[in-house]
Amino acid sequence: MDKKYGVYICEGCGIGDSLDVEAIKAVADDEGLTAKTHPILCGPEGVAFLKKEIDGGVNTLILCACSRRVHFDTFRFDGCIVDRVNLREGVVWSHPRDKFPALTEEQKADEDNFDRVQMMAEDYLRMGMARVEKVKLPEPYKLDNFSEKILVIGGGVTGMSAALDAANAGYQVTIVEKADQLGGAALTWRSQLPVTDPYEQLIPPVVDEKIKAVKANANITVKTGTVVARLAGQPGEFTATFKRPGEKIEFDVPYPLPPEMRVDESGKDLDAEKLHEKYMEYNEGRKDILTLDPNGELYGAVVLAAGWRPDKLEGDAYAHLGYGAIPDVITNVEFEALAKKGRILRPSDGKEAKSVVFVQSPCKDEDDSDFDYAGAVTSLVALKQAKYVRNDYEDGKAFIFYQHMRTPGLNENFYKSIQQDPGIFMTKGNVLSVSKSGNALMVEASDTLLGQQLKVKADLVVLAAGMVPATHDDPVVNMAYRQGPGFRDIGLFNGFCDSNFICFPYETQRTGIYAAGAVRRSMTTEEAMEDATGAALKAIQCIVSSNRGVSVHPRSGDMTFPDFFFQRCTQCKRCTEECPFGALDDDAKGTPKPNPTRCRRCGTCMGACPERIIGFADYNVDSIGSMVKAIKVPSEDDYSEPPFRVLGLVCENDALPALDIAALNRISYSADVRLIPVRCLGSVNVIWIKDALSQGMDGVFLMGCKHGDDYQCHFVKGSELASIRMKKIGDALASLALEVERVAQFDIAIDEYDKAPQLISEFVESIEALGPNPFKGF
Amino acid sequence: MSDSYYVDPDVGFIKEVAKLGGQDLKKCFQCATCSVACPISPDTKPFPRKEMIAASWGLKDRLVGNGDIWLCHNCGDCTALCPRGAKPGDVLGALRAYAISEYAAPKVLAKAVNDPKKLVPLMALPAVIFVVVGFLCNMLFGVQWLNFTPGGDTVIHSNFFSTWLVDIIFIPTFFFAIAVFALGLKRFVADMHANALLEGKTTKEKIDPAGIVQALIKVVPTILQHKKFNECGENKERATPHMMVLFSFIALFIVTNIFFVALYIFGQHGPYSQLNPVKWLANVGGIALIIGSGMMIIQRLSKKDQVSSYKDWWLLGLVFGLGVTGMLAQLTRLGGLAGVSYFVYFVHLMFVWYLFAYTPFSKLAHLVYRTVAMTYVEYSGRK
Repeated sequence: MDKKYGVYICEGCGIGDSLDVEAIKAVADDEGLTAKTHPILCGPEGVAFLKKEIDGGVNTLILCACSRRVHFDTFRFDGCIVDRVNLREGVVWSHPRDKFPALTEEQKADEDNFDRVQMMAEDYLRMGMARVEKVKLPEPYKLDNFSEKILVIGGGVTGMSAALDAANAGYQVTIVEKADQLGGAALTWRSQLPVTDPYEQLIPPVVDEKIKAVKANANITVKTGTVVARLAGQPGEFTATFKRPGEKIEFDVPYPLPPEMRVDESGKDLDAEKLHEKYMEYNEGRKDILTLDPNGELYGAVVLAAGWRPDKLEGDAYAHLGYGAIPDVITNVEFEALAKKGRILRPSDGKEAKSVVFVQSPCKDEDDSDFDYAGAVTSLVALKQAKYVRNDYEDGKAFIFYQHMRTPGLNENFYKSIQQDPGIFMTKGNVLSVSKSGNALMVEASDTLLGQQLKVKADLVVLAAGMVPATHDDPVVNMAYRQGPGFRDIGLFNGFCDSNFICFPYETQRTGIYAAGAVRRSMTTEEAMEDATGAALKAIQCIVSSNRGVSVHPRSGDMTFPDFFFQRCTQCKRCTEECPFGALDDDAKGTPKPNPTRCRRCGTCMGACPERIIGFADYNVDSIGSMVKAIKVPSEDDYSEPPFRVLGLVCENDALPALDIAALNRISYSADVRLIPVRCLGSVNVIWIKDALSQGMDGVFLMGCKHGDDYQCHFVKGSELASIRMKKIGDALASLALEVERVAQFDIAIDEYDKAPQLISEFVESIEALGPNPFKGF
Repeated sequence: MSDSYYVDPDVGFIKEVAKLGGQDLKKCFQCATCSVACPISPDTKPFPRKEMIAASWGLKDRLVGNGDIWLCHNCGDCTALCPRGAKPGDVLGALRAYAISEYAAPKVLAKAVNDPKKLVPLMALPAVIFVVVGFLCNMLFGVQWLNFTPGGDTVIHSNFFSTWLVDIIFIPTFFFAIAVFALGLKRFVADMHANALLEGKTTKEKIDPAGIVQALIKVVPTILQHKKFNECGENKERATPHMMVLFSFIALFIVTNIFFVALYIFGQHGPYSQLNPVKWLANVGGIALIIGSGMMIIQRLSKKDQVSSYKDWWLLGLVFGLGVTGMLAQLTRLGGLAGVSYFVYFVHLMFVWYLFAYTPFSKLAHLVYRTVAMTYVEYSGRK
């Protein structure tokens, strides 16, 4: 595309009052461009004016107005590159004239005086002009083989619900179920928790109706006794190979080498060739991930509803509860099986179990944690099962000893109704021991609500074993991805497959595969059915987006995708390994193979690449690098006391909105910083920082999302990777005789708009204390 | 461990307490708002939170002998603030009713007094006793203590219904009630002390009678002035009518004793002149009784959020009926309506008999149990 540039300056919202617009126009003149002004660009007249300009041949617009986060649709012109120079939030609102006074006519006469705010505006225009020179209009990535079918893994209530929802929306669905019949865990229940208002009574399991509905639905194909051997390809064109459980076939997915096999005897990393050899050996008899199964079935997206298994209670931690040693101490799942058979009888001697104690927490060593993987569901199940005892025996008694009784939402109604039963007794307490006492068991508990240590006689003791997600034991999906067949364990989710529980439900760390039900967290049938709807919608959204060649999430609608300049690739594999979403595979030599529809467009690969050969049409190493270089760094040649220059690379997910909100509230920060929005801190290539410092800027900061245990990074690992890279940059700075303190990274959440400007100003102050960059002016 | 308390919930007890007005006790989720809200609960081991869980666990032995349930004056503050609608105030009221039945003997009578179905037979009982005793005396001893045709110009109740007949029935009844209370209290005080020791509410190992008397002397003014009742919030307006009823009972008790002494020692017969100061006291007491109990009935009717069960209506009905029939008997006597007056007097006598006979079994027993419990608490140094 032949670019024809146009620079347009809006004078509304205080821009015209605060800034010297003529001086800004002169900046465009320096680049050989003529800037035009308009009183209100976003108004109908302003837009008409821009459209007329476009009709006149302009296709690359530099709009000096408000933040790119507002009026996004107003300033979207098809076929045009639009750059938004943020004069309003970025300059005028965040730097009001009462705090940053303009120069008087008198001051202007002396050339040694400067107006920091005006300088800021002019720099931002220079940066915008530099950027548009380096970017292209994106073109959508189109798949060769495209499927709109949805694969649902797991034929329990969740899987069937997801399949029904997707099928009713007009999509073809295949359910694969490991067992020989549909139904999953729900088949083993006597009754289940309520799923509708008033949430008070136990109801018969809903699973039977689901099975009937699935069988009657023409859009759903059911494959029982089937598991996924491998899922190759990418969203929109996943190739699935199915097999019988336990079968060994050549399309079983190969596994990556475990870390201990990736080094030689002396502990040194093996080279690429040797690694590949070992890998082939390790996975003998299995086709490489890049080999597609010619008989595989094509799917557009996957819903993972593989469910759960009861936690195995083993080891010393539960010895005091007698589990394993006393036959009448059982788990909740074992109790459910007894209840399903008929009246509740003791496993040891078949005697009627009229007094049952439900233990919700192992209470070992003053620890009030519940059993592993327990939660609201185990609380609710104890209430349900207590009711079984009362339903079976007129004189039955059920005791619940808990550390936490969790009945969220309207399940509180269920708790209340169970509580009303005169034969159900609950207390918080530490269960000390379960022991045999004659023909019965004696349960002792301390710190109870009754104010003292007590003991209760029981026929049966039921322990609240938690729900372990199927993905804890097995990859289940068996993805033919270079990063491995399962969801990468980032050490936070205990085997639950999730990427960000709060912000992005259903999203796993693999695009196109959406988790629902107990693989995501332990949940009730009701929650699982709702979850299934969410995951089915996500799967449909993925199919539609992939078909249009745009990103699904979280940059929904983004048409760009990473482009590799392979001639210069050194096969270092950093991109393949660091991609948070496993979007890249590699061949035997280690050359990455992109899978654009797996990609979430965060640019982590671009930040990782030491050769800087990865970029997007409108966001690449060169475009940002040129913006950095466009910043004017005044030196002592210009002013006797030149202002400092600090570069801020700001994540556009949280940090940039936080700064916009700060501007809206007229909260200021130093006018000596120049901010560049980035897709994610993971996309920050260290070359930008080096360039900034070597051209004399005094400091660089990165502002992005929190990382660690409660991370908020929209791309899971971006801000964490950035922090690792920033640590490494310290050595490079030291070799340049620069202080490591000149580069910093800050965490910010979107609501911390008061904190963001403060962090910036404090950083600038700390840089001022260090003194100017010695490279300034060279 | 040996110091564990063996818990064996009594489901029957829970159901019984529910029937007595504690039907919401299972709604409690142990937040302890009640104990915080209660204006008269002690700072250590405060009630009624602990009583609520003991009740929902059916721990009868923890509650019946628990002095704390008597410290509660059913202010209603806890009930009004309870986030779950468990109505702790009413649960404690039900527990008190249960405790009264538990300490009263014979049990059959205690059960009957709290059973609405037994109301008619219980009411008929004194009428039968009066008539049967009256006839028997006539037949055996030839005395006309029960005269259905009392002539004369003025209406004199004793002509119809001899004082002798009244007293040979009432005096044993009174001592029967005293005996029932005495037996009940013996067990109650022992249980209360054991419970206080168990729950660590007292440091006194033994009960010292002198100490109890001293405590009683301290407690009586508190009761008479309704000091505790006046600390209440929600049901504060009940304090005044309650005080009226209490003082009218005291006044009428004094009047009755004066009559008794005047009759049997000085041989002076009633009815007294309206100018007699004793008569003044009697009339003031009677009016206070009617107004006080009437106000309490109205207050209970308007308080829809609090439980009013049979036991409450039974007592209010009795007190109100006592006052109204007494006053009516006097007015009809003065008005010369002989037939009506004799009938109303008969009904009044029956009410008085209920009062004597059924007090140890009914809610009115709180007069004794609460006084004793408050005395014990004063003695035990509960803080």
